[in-house]
Amino acid sequence: MTDSSTDPVDRFLDAARDETAELPFRLTGVMFQYYVVCERELWFLSRDVEIDRDTPSIVRGSDVDDSAYSDKRRDVRVDGIIAIDVLDSGEILEVKPSSSMTEPARLQLLFYLWYLDRVTGVEKTGVLAHPTEKRRETIELTPETSAEVESAIRGIREVVTAESPPPAEGKPVCDSCAYHDFCWSC
Amino acid sequence: MNDNYHVFSDGRIERQDDTVRVVTDDGEKKYLPVENAEAIFLHGQLEYNTRFVSFLNQEGVAVHVFGWHDHYAGSIMPKRGQTSGQTIVDQVRAYDDPGHRLKLAKAFVDGSIHNMRSNVTYYDGRGYDFEHVLEELEDARASLDGMGTIDETMGVEARARKAYYSTFDEILPEGFVFGGRQYNPPNNEVNSLISFGNSLVYANIVSAIRATALDPTVSYLHEPGERRYSLALDIADLFKPLLADRVIFRLVNRGQLTTDDFEDDMNSCLLNEAGRKTYSKAYEKTLDETIDHPDLGKKVSYQYLLRVEAYKLKKHLLTGEEYVPFRRWW
Ligand code: SF4
Repeated sequence: MTDSSTDPVDRFLDAARDETAELPFRLTGVMFQYYVVCERELWFLSRDVEIDRDTPSIVRGSDVDDSAYSDKRRDVRVDGIIAIDVLDSGEILEVKPSSSMTEPARLQLLFYLWYLDRVTGVEKTGVLAHPTEKRRETIELTPETSAEVESAIRGIREVVTAESPPPAEGKPVCDSCAYHDFCWSC
Repeated sequence: MNDNYHVFSDGRIERQDDTVRVVTDDGEKKYLPVENAEAIFLHGQLEYNTRFVSFLNQEGVAVHVFGWHDHYAGSIMPKRGQTSGQTIVDQVRAYDDPGHRLKLAKAFVDGSIHNMRSNVTYYDGRGYDFEHVLEELEDARASLDGMGTIDETMGVEARARKAYYSTFDEILPEGFVFGGRQYNPPNNEVNSLISFGNSLVYANIVSAIRATALDPTVSYLHEPGERRYSLALDIADLFKPLLADRVIFRLVNRGQLTTDDFEDDMNSCLLNEAGRKTYSKAYEKTLDETIDHPDLGKKVSYQYLLRVEAYKLKKHLLTGEEYVPFRRWW
């Protein structure tokens, strides 16, 4: 029996390392992006609140054409939890759809690095890039960035296990959000 | 986007490559571009096969079938793009909680009365004296608070609708005698128009609900039905005055529909094909009308208001945020 007072991060790691265990809550890479962008959206995502198909950009950034990306890369799935792009160099690639998405994409990438390190024992570095930008940013797991991931895991858990979502707050991102009409109709 | 197509001919409707084709009994061929269609309404006697049904399913287009006497016969709905166990659990929970169900039922009635009132106010300002009806509607609305059961709430709805319909005989020109609502079958032109209009509203709301993961059979004001989408009935009440009734007034008062557009049967009176065409055309035009939506900060079509209403209900059920029924604000 897991002690319910155990830290969510430890519980997550215990479950992730033990194939037979049920994860205490669902955690996917994209949740880290939503966590940064909008916690209300994260809550909707966790409940599978879908919005109709004809809304543009249903998944944020899904319209980025990253096929333009020239590096050789492979899609790798790990434990059914994370799906990562591994470059020939061995680095993990995360594409940021726009400059405003740097922080969300960075946190998602850090989560992958953290997961690989803590669960599978593989140390990797990451690359954050935009298909049309020349500059790439190297992302590394350090004690500080690990702490960032872990605090995000605790934060995500709090959001997704709450009875109701945080109230809508008008932000610039609302205008392009698939949930716009859902959030703002009353 | 979100176009509805109405087919009145008799014949065959089929998939033809990536489109839909109607071949009428007299050999005429018509094509319906379905990429942006919301639904196809079948009014005539039409044959179709499974290939047609799977194609529309794949395109996400609904088919609403109208049978004998313009009765809504049923829908073939595309496979859900949306399923959400959580939504259905929350939807049923609210039904099962008497206080919650009553609150929602009252919200639907409250909104309906507001929207009936809105039509009456319009005519009250145009040479008719409907002060007494407006008072009656206001009384009914105010009495909602004290109602303790769904039945009583339904009673308030019925009372309001009766007062509302009492204005029709005055608003509609001579030759159109109403004399109160008759359903099965409609006994005169006005009843036939109301029935037809309401069933179009209903079918459109069935489509709108389908765009959410709500279950269309779990409802609050109406009793959940086995063979009908009772949630669409709940929501339809809100929109009938805006969508169905305004089209009736407009067409009849401008002489675009006359008694020639109806045919008398043994003991019923129904729109003929020309009448149904005229009505659905005007109805579709109304759905396309747009209005500034202050909360959404943009212009939306009346048709989209139906979708928004389904969102609002779903949001309420899922988050507990208040459900405010559609009230005409302009
Ligand atoms: S519309 Fe705004 S508040 Fe609502 S989910 Fe999207 S970003 Fe969050």
